[in-house]
Amino acid sequence: MRARTPDYAGFIGRNGVRTAYEVHGEGEPTILLVPPSPITHSRCWKGQVHHLARHFRVVTMDGRGNGLSDRPRGDGAYLPTEIADDVIAVLEAVSATKAVLVAHCHANYWTFMAAAARPDLISGVVAIAPGIPGLGDPNPNWIEVARHWDEDPDSPEGWLMCNPAYWRKGGYENWIRFWFDTLGVEPHSTKPVEDMVGWALETDPESMIQGDEEEAPGASTEKSEELCRSLRCRVLVLHGSEDRCQMPSRGRRVSELTNGRFVLMKGVGHLAPGREPVLVNRHITSFVNSLRGTPMQTRTWTRGSSRPRKALYVSSPIGLGHARRDVAIASELSQLNPDLQIEWLAQSPVTEVLEANNQTIHPASQWLASESEHWASEATGHELNAFQALRRMDEILVANFMIFQEVVEDGAYDLVIADEAWDIDHFWHENPELKRGSHVWMTDFVGFLPMPDGGEREAYLTTDYNAEMIEHIARFPRIRDRSIFVGNPDDVIPASFGPGLPDIRQWTTEHFAFSGYVTGFTPPQEDDIAGIREELGYGDDERVCLVTVGGSGVGKALLEKVIQAFPYAVKEVPDLRMVVVAGPRIAPDSLPVPEGVEVVGYVDGLHRHLSVCDLAVVQGGLTTTMELVASRRPFVYFPLKNHFEQSQHVRYRLERHRAGHRMEFEGSDPEDIASAMIAELTQEIDYLPVETDGAERAARLISDLI
Amino acid sequence: MRPRSPDREDFIVRDGIKIAFSVYENDRPTILLMPTWSIIHSRHWKAQVPYLARHFRVVTFDGRGNGRSDRPGYSGYYTDHEFVADALGVLDATETREAVLAGVSLGAHWALLLAGLFPTRAAGVVCIGPTTALANLPHPNRTGVSFEEPLAQNDGWAMYNSYFWRQRYPDFAEFFFSQVFSETHSTRQREDAVGWAMETDPETLITIERADRFDAEVATAARQGIRCPILVIHGTDDHITPHQAGVTLAQAVGGELLSIEGSGHLPQARDPVRVNLAIKEFIDRMVVPA
Repeated sequence: MRARTPDYAGFIGRNGVRTAYEVHGEGEPTILLVPPSPITHSRCWKGQVHHLARHFRVVTMDGRGNGLSDRPRGDGAYLPTEIADDVIAVLEAVSATKAVLVAHCHANYWTFMAAAARPDLISGVVAIAPGIPGLGDPNPNWIEVARHWDEDPDSPEGWLMCNPAYWRKGGYENWIRFWFDTLGVEPHSTKPVEDMVGWALETDPESMIQGDEEEAPGASTEKSEELCRSLRCRVLVLHGSEDRCQMPSRGRRVSELTNGRFVLMKGVGHLAPGREPVLVNRHITSFVNSLRGTPMQTRTWTRGSSRPRKALYVSSPIGLGHARRDVAIASELSQLNPDLQIEWLAQSPVTEVLEANNQTIHPASQWLASESEHWASEATGHELNAFQALRRMDEILVANFMIFQEVVEDGAYDLVIADEAWDIDHFWHENPELKRGSHVWMTDFVGFLPMPDGGEREAYLTTDYNAEMIEHIARFPRIRDRSIFVGNPDDVIPASFGPGLPDIRQWTTEHFAFSGYVTGFTPPQEDDIAGIREELGYGDDERVCLVTVGGSGVGKALLEKVIQAFPYAVKEVPDLRMVVVAGPRIAPDSLPVPEGVEVVGYVDGLHRHLSVCDLAVVQGGLTTTMELVASRRPFVYFPLKNHFEQSQHVRYRLERHRAGHRMEFEGSDPEDIASAMIAELTQEIDYLPVETDGAERAARLISDLI
Repeated sequence: MRPRSPDREDFIVRDGIKIAFSVYENDRPTILLMPTWSIIHSRHWKAQVPYLARHFRVVTFDGRGNGRSDRPGYSGYYTDHEFVADALGVLDATETREAVLAGVSLGAHWALLLAGLFPTRAAGVVCIGPTTALANLPHPNRTGVSFEEPLAQNDGWAMYNSYFWRQRYPDFAEFFFSQVFSETHSTRQREDAVGWAMETDPETLITIERADRFDAEVATAARQGIRCPILVIHGTDDHITPHQAGVTLAQAVGGELLSIEGSGHLPQARDPVRVNLAIKEFIDRMVVPA
């Protein structure tokens, strides 16, 4: 899912060629993000749009030859002057009166031409790895490409795959994959490289060939110098020191000629907007702010000794599970530290739990891009590839990190508590100078694990992600002041992070403190169960089976299948009563119901129902299953297919507790499910006990830091 | 030892009165650090000079009545007009066409007069704990105390009295700076300020107290003449000029306001890091980088 959808979109047409644009947000100036087309399109700015649109009006465009724009074939359709005129036409179409242009690579040639032509309209240019021809050192690889451009090689390799005849013979994709692999010099760049390859494959060789041949006809060093010197606006140049496409000396020369500011990003390659989104976003924002002049503003800075102690609690909204445990930990923390102010940066469905518990929600929470909707969008039927879904959440994670960072820079927090807030942990390690306050990282699993369906590629990727995390922590131990594993050392799966990497349990034991499990509630005592059942309307002459898939929209397929099992089960267990909890996101009346089955929507305090039921049928999420373990209830669970956490981490923990009957959704027909239900009903419970002091232990571990 | 020595120290002479100034050279824009009430002198910027001088050209001068400047014995030499004229004289003598001005307390008043009456000379003004006729709100602690009449009791603000100064000036200075630095653990800042106060004398301060100040018409003309950005920095625990004066001033001149929660009257001395960063950021946003 995208972090932000446009407020409106449209096309401009010039000489019969349509160029698509999108508009996000409002305010002056207008920031136009210009992609280097046709090799890519506006999505290459996915790490920028959400952040910039919170501060300015952002316009993106697809250059000719890719995205939603036309792929013209007429002579001269890809000339720089044409696209520069498209840029100006887009600004006029959105009625911009003051604009800043941001461009990458050769798109800077167009923005410079536009800025030279319209100094009245364009007040600044951000040039990322600017491809202004003839300036700085030439790239010897491009010289070689040009030398062989008109040849027809049989099986070219490396840079020589950049060849029209080869592309027309089907070699275009080989070239694209090679080239972006070459540009993604930073370790752990798989996602930005995949993104760039995908967008490059949305154009076609003919557009690429014409785009290359018309990229800079008649260009010379003198003309480029004249163009740069003619700019009347302010210029910021960002250039990676490891750029394999545009030499850094070119960016430096551009800054000299334009009297601009040059920022060398050391260790960074050509794909900075995707690979270093936080850095690029912050540079663009401060540049544009410097152009806006001084708005009247009022700020307060509080002397250290006058400050109340403050914590910012960030609770993952992926699944509903974290909210209750985090509220329980926060409550223990407040008891230990009565003067501690706790604020929450959180989104639905966590915010509903927080509001019900009178917690303080930071107003910036309203800007967060929805993570739970992203997860719902990633699920089909009973399948959700959690690892790939997390990877594809990269755009939302950047967007939400930028909000978080503004909140901590403004809020003078002593402490940040991040319960599986992946964005904070990742981007603070990537941008360690941005850390504010102490940081407590909490999680209930460690290590991405590949699923068999993902094949070698997924195994490679999970290893890469684990390696990056391990390297982060080895290089910057100061970023996580404390890591808390919500569970016990024996709950950690004894598996490997991947080839050449440590054992997960050993590494976790060395790097984490253990709070024990945190259910967020006290399971009922044996003597209380009858009373609670009566209160909830469950008789002692019936056996109540609760069926639930939690608060997400994922799981309708499971509910339907379990409902179909009821007629088989009730034959053997005549006093069986099945209550299906559809949850807030599945309409109860959308489920076909046989006689004897009740379907309800949202159930307040579902964990209390679960704690006194006779049987539960659930998904494989940790929170619900561990509630059942803590309450010592029999249950059948169905891990989501290809969900590594449910299928491996949670499964391991449940098996250790000798709890639950695991089934695969696929291949289990209703009769199988009925048999499993009946078997569970008669099962003797000998679960390992679940501690009840986890929240307090977690709070004590956190308290050490304040 | 001082962390940064001036590159040039010199005097201007106006009407035979010598005004001492210092220049810390840099090829960046100039910031002129104004004097304040002459109970102290230019060393009250000691926590700013080394830092600002790494980023800007810094000019300071001692206000007439303290430091290395003369101490004329006639109130007509201490009017607002004279202090502003001294500042202009120092700008001229240092060949500074335009400068950012920064002033603490009364120094902010003179900086605002200069910026409003001579707008081409001021690129911006930083007002710290401003005590100015552009937003004149005396602290309630200080009202109703006679300066000229002998008082039976000289407790607290009743020490702000010419008779008391002649008899027990050091006690007044101790009291005054205990009010200025209302923050806990301010012993060093109080000692500094009392020490600078001992470099002048009660007669000079009494002469200064009797000078014309805070002309309403001049203040109005200045407020209307201001063209440059203004930053107001004001502590919320200011016992000399209430925080509300800074709020009112920022509104009156369309300036920015940085409130410092828990800070007293001279945050540039007591919270130097925050003030230094705020000044630098203010100038950086205003000045086109080279």
